Amino acid sequence: MKETPLSNCERRFLLRAIEEKKRLDGRQTYDYRNIKISFGTDYGCCIVELGKTRVLGQVSCELVSPKLNRATEGILFFNLELSQMAAPAFEPGRQSDLLVKLNRLLERCLRNSKCIDTESLCVVAGEKVWQIRVDLHLLNHDGNIIDAASIAAIVALCHFRRPDVSVQGDEITLYALEERDPVPLSIHHMPICISFAFFQQGTYLLVDPNEREERVMDGLLVIAMNKHREICTIQSSGGIMLLQDQVLRCSKIAGVKVAEITELIQKALENDKRVRKEGGKFGFAESIANQRITAFKMEKAPVDTSDVEEKAEEIIAEADPPSEAVSKPVLWTPGTAQIGEGIESSWGDLEEEEDEDEGGSDDVTILDSVKMETEDQNVGDHITDDTPIVLSDSEEDEIIILEPGENPKKTRIQANNSKQEKASSKKAIRKKKKKKKAAKILLF
Amino acid sequence: MAMEIRLPVARQRLPESLDRDTQKHLVVPGDTITTDTGFMRGHGTYMGDEKLIASVAGSVERVNKLICVKALKTRYNGEVGDIVVGRITEVQQKRWKVETNSRLDSVLLLSSMNLPGGELRRRSAEDELAMRDFLREGDLISAEVQAVFSDGAVSLHTRSLKYGKLGQGVLVQVSPSLVKRQKTHFHDLPCGASVILGNNGFIWIYPTPEQREEEVGGFIANLEPVPLSDREVISRLRNCIVALVAQKMMLFDTSLLYCYEASLSHQIKDILKPEIMEEIVMETRQRLLEQEG
Repeated sequence: MKETPLSNCERRFLLRAIEEKKRLDGRQTYDYRNIKISFGTDYGCCIVELGKTRVLGQVSCELVSPKLNRATEGILFFNLELSQMAAPAFEPGRQSDLLVKLNRLLERCLRNSKCIDTESLCVVAGEKVWQIRVDLHLLNHDGNIIDAASIAAIVALCHFRRPDVSVQGDEITLYALEERDPVPLSIHHMPICISFAFFQQGTYLLVDPNEREERVMDGLLVIAMNKHREICTIQSSGGIMLLQDQVLRCSKIAGVKVAEITELIQKALENDKRVRKEGGKFGFAESIANQRITAFKMEKAPVDTSDVEEKAEEIIAEADPPSEAVSKPVLWTPGTAQIGEGIESSWGDLEEEEDEDEGGSDDVTILDSVKMETEDQNVGDHITDDTPIVLSDSEEDEIIILEPGENPKKTRIQANNSKQEKASSKKAIRKKKKKKKAAKILLF
Repeated sequence: MAMEIRLPVARQRLPESLDRDTQKHLVVPGDTITTDTGFMRGHGTYMGDEKLIASVAGSVERVNKLICVKALKTRYNGEVGDIVVGRITEVQQKRWKVETNSRLDSVLLLSSMNLPGGELRRRSAEDELAMRDFLREGDLISAEVQAVFSDGAVSLHTRSLKYGKLGQGVLVQVSPSLVKRQKTHFHDLPCGASVILGNNGFIWIYPTPEQREEEVGGFIANLEPVPLSDREVISRLRNCIVALVAQKMMLFDTSLLYCYEASLSHQIKDILKPEIMEEIVMETRQRLLEQEG
């Protein structure tokens, strides 16, 4: 199936987000996605998950006759396959370009770097050598196949155990797994590929691009390095022109990332070794968690809300009074003063919030703030008038007696009961704290 | 800040249809349609040991002696005269390849495209070189189906001035079987937006242009900022379409309009909630039935 084309607005959105240093999944520019390594029951079988990209690696071995010009070396064979379940665009005949590129890169990274000691794979010089075959299958494509594949390959090789062989004169004895413990391969170092995606002709750079970012990128730089900071392979594709300091910077970043990933791999390998030694359960069934979300039926359950009102009132009554912001009273004329602002809400630009029409939360706060405004305005109006305000007999009110020159005591306005009941109790407390206080004044 | 938490609950099945004289005969692949051998078999069926068996999931249609199964979810099968909305995927030598949600990419020949100015002249080599200036990869166009090739690929044309490159708007992709065939697929809805209901399931909602520019011929995309009120109408329409599609209602201008009016009492983002979707679509269905009967 042909890939559905990316719409223009999505492409523009991704590029703009990258210009503002934002990635869709919230990562930073140099962040990797979560790497999960799990092992199967056989030696040499592993699944590596880099975010949602999954690669399955399997190593197998066979005794064959060596190549004529390399009579004392074993044979390594790498094969990466893009399975049709990885992405709808992968079809048996269609993915040739990408496939060739990935395979070549993997071979250069693992074979040419001589990370595996091929001399140790020789059994009888010129006659029998081990052929190690690494098969990688891409199970899900969410970007950055090469990184996941290289990690899977090296982890599978480190995990693999080949049958033990002994040579006595002309006789070669191949021991079965039950007779003698299988022997690990001799691996010198672990090269790991790190990908850098470039955007806008090399201006912006991202590490570990995911599938969307790969679609809009201009070029890709892959650096294969090991933890001793030796570069095994470096490849730049896409035709972007990179400056020298950009490449050097990328190699420094790659060094840091490779150290982290190598540590993770060591930990995973040791974990697995320990579990196997202790006789615990190992294999895919144990390590890959069940990620299915099962739908369930839920009958309607009546919820009793009769005591919510009382509870809310309790909580409000027991709550501490809001922290008093001591503001100086503004003396308008002798006998008229104002404490607090009470005229205009300074809660930020309401016009912009109304524009967005986003979540309900925004609407709710807008309504509340508007209500607050009008309420405050009413009281403010009252204050600027000279009419005396009737004091209620409620115990919640504190009375202020204002005489010119004296410090007024603080007051609280009794809020509308209806508002408190509607909102949750927590919200009510916050509202009270935020409310602007306007004083009730007794005039003399 | 208020946060909404929703729990999953088994959804109530709506009563299937409030009036339905003929119950639709729904089949799945492998179902026997009939054992009567007198019928001719049409699309979506095959003969298997003396029985007519369905090969797709859909409803059985019968015209005299011809039985065919019309699938519910398919790729678009082109027919001459259909209006489609498509996206340019490739620019080739004398034609463009357009993606129209069908099995093969559709083709828009350079000779089927109306040049700016509406002139009729032979397409020259300069026109060929300037193809990318007209339409490039990623552009959306509205076109009409001119012909269908033997392998099912569709050939498009934009010979009238009402077709051409689309400017600012929102694209909604639905199943082609949900778009009702009508006389015209270009509608100017009274709520303040215009909509193109492509037969291939691509629905384009855009702000109503103030004056029709006859000379331009649909190449210059209007890139002025769209006012907020228009954008709200367009968002609401888009959510209404999603609601109608979720309840498998046929899409045409009246159903869209009724759904829009029914949704006015809710906030735009609330339309996407399952229970509000059901409510709105029920109301729409009621109104449509009243209007028919």
